[in-house]
Amino acid sequence: MRYTELQVTSNFSFLRGGSHPEELVKQAVALGYSSIAITDRNTFAGIVRAHVEARKSGIRLIPGCRLDLMKGPALLAYPRSKEAYASLSALLTRGNMRAEKGKCHLHFEDVVEFRKGSQFIVIPPSSLNDLYELDPLFVADLRRYKAAFGDSLYLAVSRMYIGNDAKLLHRLHKLSQLEKVPVVATNDVHYHHPLRRELQDVVTCVREKCTIQNAGFKLCQNAERYLKPHEEMVRLFQQYPNAIEMTSVIAESCQFSLSELKYQYPSEVTGKGDPQDELTRLVWKGAHRIFGNDVPEKVTTAIHHELTFIGEMSYAEYFLTVYDLVRFARDRNILCQGRGSAANSTVCYCLGITSVDPSKFELLFERFLSAARNEPPDIDVDFEHERREEVIQYIYKKYGRHRAAIVATVTQQHHKGAIRDVGKAMGLSVDTINRLSSSMWEFSDEWFDSETIAKHGLNPNDQTLRKVLELTAQFIGFPRQLGQHTGGFVITEGQLSDLCPIINARMEDRTNIEWNKDDIEALGFLKIDVLGLGMLTCIRKAFTLAKDHYGLNLTLANIPQDDQAVYDMVSHADTIGVFQIESRAQQSMLPRLRPKCFYDLVIEVAIVRPGPIQGDMVHPYLRRRNGEEPVEYPSPELELILKRTLGVPLFQEQAMKIAIVGAGFTGAEADELRRSMATFKAKGMVSSFEEKLINGMLKNGYTEEYARKVFRQLEGFGSYGFPESHAVSFALLVYVSSWLKCYYPDVFACALLNSLPMGFYQPAQIVIDAQKHGVEVLPADVNLSNWDNALEEKKGKFCMLRLGFRQIKGMSEADAQLIESCRGQGFTTIQNLRANGISDATLELLADADAFRSIGLDRRQALWQVSVKEKPTPVFRAGENNSNDEHIHALPKMSLSEHVLHDYASTSLSLKAHPVSFVRGQLQSLGVVRSKDLSQMKDGDRVKVAGLVLVRQRPGTASGICFITIEDEAGCTNLVVFEKLFNQFRPEILQSSLLMVEGKLQIEGEVIHVIVSRCFNYSGLLRQMTRDGREDLNTAPLSRAEERSATSDVRSQSKPEFIQGKIFPEGRNFK
Amino acid sequence: MGARYISVWFPHLRTDWFALGDPTFHNRPFVLRTTDHGRMVISATNIHAERKGIHKGLVLADARAIVTDLEAIDDIPDISVRILTELAQWCVRFTPVAAVDPDDGLLLEVSGCAHLWGGEQCYMHAIESRLNARGYGVRLGMADTPIVAWAVARFETETLRVETHQLRNILMTLPPEALRIETDAIQRLHKLGLHRIAQFINMPRNVLRRRFGRTLLDQLDKALGDQVDVIVPVVLPSQYIERLPCLEPVATRAGIEFALEELLVALCGKLQREQKGLRQAVFKGYRVDGVTIETKIGTHRPTHHVAHVRKLFENKISQLEPGLGIELFELEAKDIEDNPVEQERIWEKSSGLDDERLNELVDRLLDRGGIEVSRFVAAEHYWPERSFKKSVDVSESPAISWRTDVLRPSHLLSPPELIDVTAPIPDYPPMLFVYEGKIHRVVKADGPERIEQEWWLQQGQHRDYYILEDENGVRYWIFRLGHYHDSNYKWFIHGFFA
Repeated sequence: MRYTELQVTSNFSFLRGGSHPEELVKQAVALGYSSIAITDRNTFAGIVRAHVEARKSGIRLIPGCRLDLMKGPALLAYPRSKEAYASLSALLTRGNMRAEKGKCHLHFEDVVEFRKGSQFIVIPPSSLNDLYELDPLFVADLRRYKAAFGDSLYLAVSRMYIGNDAKLLHRLHKLSQLEKVPVVATNDVHYHHPLRRELQDVVTCVREKCTIQNAGFKLCQNAERYLKPHEEMVRLFQQYPNAIEMTSVIAESCQFSLSELKYQYPSEVTGKGDPQDELTRLVWKGAHRIFGNDVPEKVTTAIHHELTFIGEMSYAEYFLTVYDLVRFARDRNILCQGRGSAANSTVCYCLGITSVDPSKFELLFERFLSAARNEPPDIDVDFEHERREEVIQYIYKKYGRHRAAIVATVTQQHHKGAIRDVGKAMGLSVDTINRLSSSMWEFSDEWFDSETIAKHGLNPNDQTLRKVLELTAQFIGFPRQLGQHTGGFVITEGQLSDLCPIINARMEDRTNIEWNKDDIEALGFLKIDVLGLGMLTCIRKAFTLAKDHYGLNLTLANIPQDDQAVYDMVSHADTIGVFQIESRAQQSMLPRLRPKCFYDLVIEVAIVRPGPIQGDMVHPYLRRRNGEEPVEYPSPELELILKRTLGVPLFQEQAMKIAIVGAGFTGAEADELRRSMATFKAKGMVSSFEEKLINGMLKNGYTEEYARKVFRQLEGFGSYGFPESHAVSFALLVYVSSWLKCYYPDVFACALLNSLPMGFYQPAQIVIDAQKHGVEVLPADVNLSNWDNALEEKKGKFCMLRLGFRQIKGMSEADAQLIESCRGQGFTTIQNLRANGISDATLELLADADAFRSIGLDRRQALWQVSVKEKPTPVFRAGENNSNDEHIHALPKMSLSEHVLHDYASTSLSLKAHPVSFVRGQLQSLGVVRSKDLSQMKDGDRVKVAGLVLVRQRPGTASGICFITIEDEAGCTNLVVFEKLFNQFRPEILQSSLLMVEGKLQIEGEVIHVIVSRCFNYSGLLRQMTRDGREDLNTAPLSRAEERSATSDVRSQSKPEFIQGKIFPEGRNFK
Repeated sequence: MGARYISVWFPHLRTDWFALGDPTFHNRPFVLRTTDHGRMVISATNIHAERKGIHKGLVLADARAIVTDLEAIDDIPDISVRILTELAQWCVRFTPVAAVDPDDGLLLEVSGCAHLWGGEQCYMHAIESRLNARGYGVRLGMADTPIVAWAVARFETETLRVETHQLRNILMTLPPEALRIETDAIQRLHKLGLHRIAQFINMPRNVLRRRFGRTLLDQLDKALGDQVDVIVPVVLPSQYIERLPCLEPVATRAGIEFALEELLVALCGKLQREQKGLRQAVFKGYRVDGVTIETKIGTHRPTHHVAHVRKLFENKISQLEPGLGIELFELEAKDIEDNPVEQERIWEKSSGLDDERLNELVDRLLDRGGIEVSRFVAAEHYWPERSFKKSVDVSESPAISWRTDVLRPSHLLSPPELIDVTAPIPDYPPMLFVYEGKIHRVVKADGPERIEQEWWLQQGQHRDYYILEDENGVRYWIFRLGHYHDSNYKWFIHGFFA
């Protein structure tokens, strides 16, 4: 007689269970159970994990769930077969779909409808009524249930140790005999071990929004809801041995295993024939389209090789499914690009999934790991971010919502949230909680170190605090809610709900399943990532513009390859706006690396990342590339892996291959290593791998020093691993965007502006950059602009770029369209616009943007007219213009500098002049040089530079160093501020809009930095640019400092923003 | 002579007020914080923080990036008005008409006051220095109209007095903000380049009205005194103090009682009219020899019941030493609470805890001293010792009612007493136990009910409770401390059932 626990609540019943499904299964194994059920509330979300764990340990998971009904006692349900499982899943899906996200509304009638093939256990009340009898309502319900479920219904009995156990059991037993519903013992398990009771109490508090002190009877009275040993359960029910026996009866009857779920590809993609034939046909068709009738032999060989491999692994449907999406996107003129290991194959190239010519690099098609793991290849497809939704809706429409859904992401408790929740539940003060959660420490053993606690101003001897930390440590990693994966889709042949319940997503028109990508992978389901990428939007817009204005028919594939001019431009770090390589760190790397071919771009994309930087791989690579250091390999076998990157591992794949080849990891182990790298520090699994890796490498004859270095590099990849296969796909977009920028800066700037926000730069920098490349940029105007920025006729080499209304802060697209549609022959007066129903607010925005020049009004004059609130009555209409012009002459004339400031305030950029140019005179008298003069100076010179602050960055990899980029009328200057100075000049650095620094010049080839030694806030100079009429007040000597701040206080409150200097786009800060 | 106004501006009103409570704040930067859309935002700064460039509206984290050791205290909503009301009441020493001018100022109507202080200059100086002495940084403006006084205090660089003939000229130099119009209009004026009132004050009124609305014109008129500005002065708090001077010094108990009665009737009458009740009262006598004697009483609930308060004082009167005689009696209600008059019920006598007489009894018992008056109310805890608590407040309504779903003894031993028990293991009820030297044979038993420690309060073993009935039909509540696995468990008796 084996006891099987049939009522188990894991932490996937959010804020109810106190243990992970894996922990429960492990404990069951430890207690010698041969099977265990998981019954979370109205969900199957946790069962895959439990299944995987059980499979590993050789026991059996009985999938199940607890059905909490809208009315009536709850039921536990266990499917006996695959069909029964499908019905239960469909039942949950129905409940989910009729409720908002996170809720499931089920009625008794639903359960009856989907009852076939499942066993049910009804859960009785936990206590008797005042007469020591069972609630008659329950008895009535039980009869109703019995009538519906017949022999499939059982009655749960539990020993809760809350006083009347014996009486309750007796009553239930009697009832069971009377109604012929057999009793079955359960322990209503909520945690795997009694010690978890504390955490379970805490999650109860989080759920009930109370503190442990005032939770009272919301908690459980004792700690009995843990997984009890077999003998103990037998003892507790020795008066009712049938109840124990019944558990094994149910367990035996429920032989369904999740392994039986078989994923089937949707049949649409293959048409009628064999998928492999279909794929072969499409690939060859594509090959002929690309290469003509003479497909090169190398390609032919590759195609044969890959097709054979695909055939062996039966991946044809997968490729066909991806192909289908790509074809749809292409039909709709949506740009897309595949990435991932399988994406960079000849097959994908022929299918048009990727435009990277596979002959440009040498990637093994059978990505090591995939082959070993026998799981679907990895292809993510990026689409234009603005149009990704079209693709998503296409999927829903083509396959139906019952067959396609997005994969879930299980949001986990991170240490900040965990400590907040636990701290709140434990009744810590808000102040203490803030201090705990804001202290930047990652979770680690250090937490419990008295000194560390004391350092944060907390009392290390405080028992409550220690308890909070201890419970937080347990709570971290608990699932908190089911979110929506960014784009992972599951598509099936049959009903998706046969496999897994579907839930409503928070976003409208979206549904997702309860399982996340690991669950999906564990069961071998297909997943396609449909992602959005801003740069694709930009490139597509650029292609359209290039077609309209230059008659070019560009695609990702037909852009001329290997153009030296493009690489020259890139080598000079002229990359504002270019995909991936526009950041300052990239820009200072480019002149050192000097990319000359496509693969150099792949390296460029991968090298400026925290992984290689933390792993100290950048400099060795540069030295080797420049021939300053010999290219060596620690062993001939590693040469194969590291040859492309001159012996320095730069990609995630290389790191893993080193583990396999160098340290003797198996493919699966290396894969586990890769996974753990992502969550490295959080879980403390590292050390076991560290030992294994180092010992393995020592055994294979590597030095310990090298082994440790490799491990450090792996750690670096941990947080931000970047696989080569992704870098390759990105590099193509880098090349394409560079090519556009190089040959059609007008097209590129226009497309970029129309795709914002994305990338690093503000519109001002993009416009300035375009002007520098010879593009004439024209201001936004009511009569000449559209919502989007647009190209006008050619002037010189390029088209003129007309700014659109989208650049004006506060304008809406609808307003812009209204203006466009009623413009007709053009507006001649503001009254024209008003008569067409354009609102005063919009008119004021346009006036602020100085967009009435074509009517002959500057911004101030326009505003004067727009300001009139009363509409003239019809009688006086004849005289309206005169009355509008009244006193217009009385307005003070605006200086150019004022105009520039207002341009910035309204559009974040000015075409009239650069703000710094107005104070150049003063700056010059102070010895401040222009940014472009720096290149004429020598390394080590002391200089003063000033400019608007564009970006402030303190990357985590740079030990407290702050990088600042400032801009003056001639260009940008890069500043480096060391930590000590940063602390000293903190206010200046953070508060200045115009920053002046003194420092030492550092010139390294084309890369110029100023190592800052002093900072000054010169924002005051900008303030003089407004002819305030009250300069006297600004500059008058103040007798007491207190008064100065006092006056500035009132001003900052009531004066328009520009006094505060806020008009300049705030520098990007530390992100 | 026309009206004169002083506007008092407190640039750091709230931080000054907070600093009063903690003098260490005087010399370091600190700010008040409040949450706005889930972020901590600065709602006020002190002078030191402001000098470092911290201003209102900044996100606290950003401010901390600038000033790393910035102290932040939680702001108290609406505290400004409270502080200002107090300050306005205090300002009554300077003028009878003092008004709160939110968010950070006072407005004083001072016509005809200044000469008492030796002229306007001295008058302003007196106000400024007294407020400074109280711990508030201020700046003053004085003018013929409230608006100009307000503006001058804020937009001039030092405390300034505007003579009647300067009014228009000074106004002209001020920015449009000085008119206290909506931000929208102010911004538009600046955008149009109209940075000073002089630049538009002479424009035709209809031109201004059409663009900036009626308010601008009204405010201009008020500033120039062409339209009257209304000022709402603060009302002084009423005082609950009654005095009774005597023609002849009183030295007898009868005389004192008579005086007390007089004062009580007056005071309680006033309290009743205002629906208040006293919680504390002080009865004072000023003796002819200059000594003040006093006695105090406290009540349990707010009351204005003459007889009750008299009763409480009766025991205390003997403590008063009249000496040669008392020439002035004073009765002050110290602690006042609202005591709304309830609808009297004719047919229903209020009873139980609501009975007024119960409260009066409690007051009298407590007044005797040495007697503890309390009752038990249910508390939401499983652990028996914590499942009730003592309450001394008759009016306290317990959060939960007594549990009826489980049996609990009516008499609980404190602490539980160790007993010897014979019980079959593992967790069957005892067969017999020895309590106070007597053997009790168990004839009926129920249990166990397991109650676990409240781990956040104390650590230890759980208890398994049993309800037992001995051969005499007496029922006991006993428990085993600790699990039967452990050899060191103990048995205790914890209570008796009725």
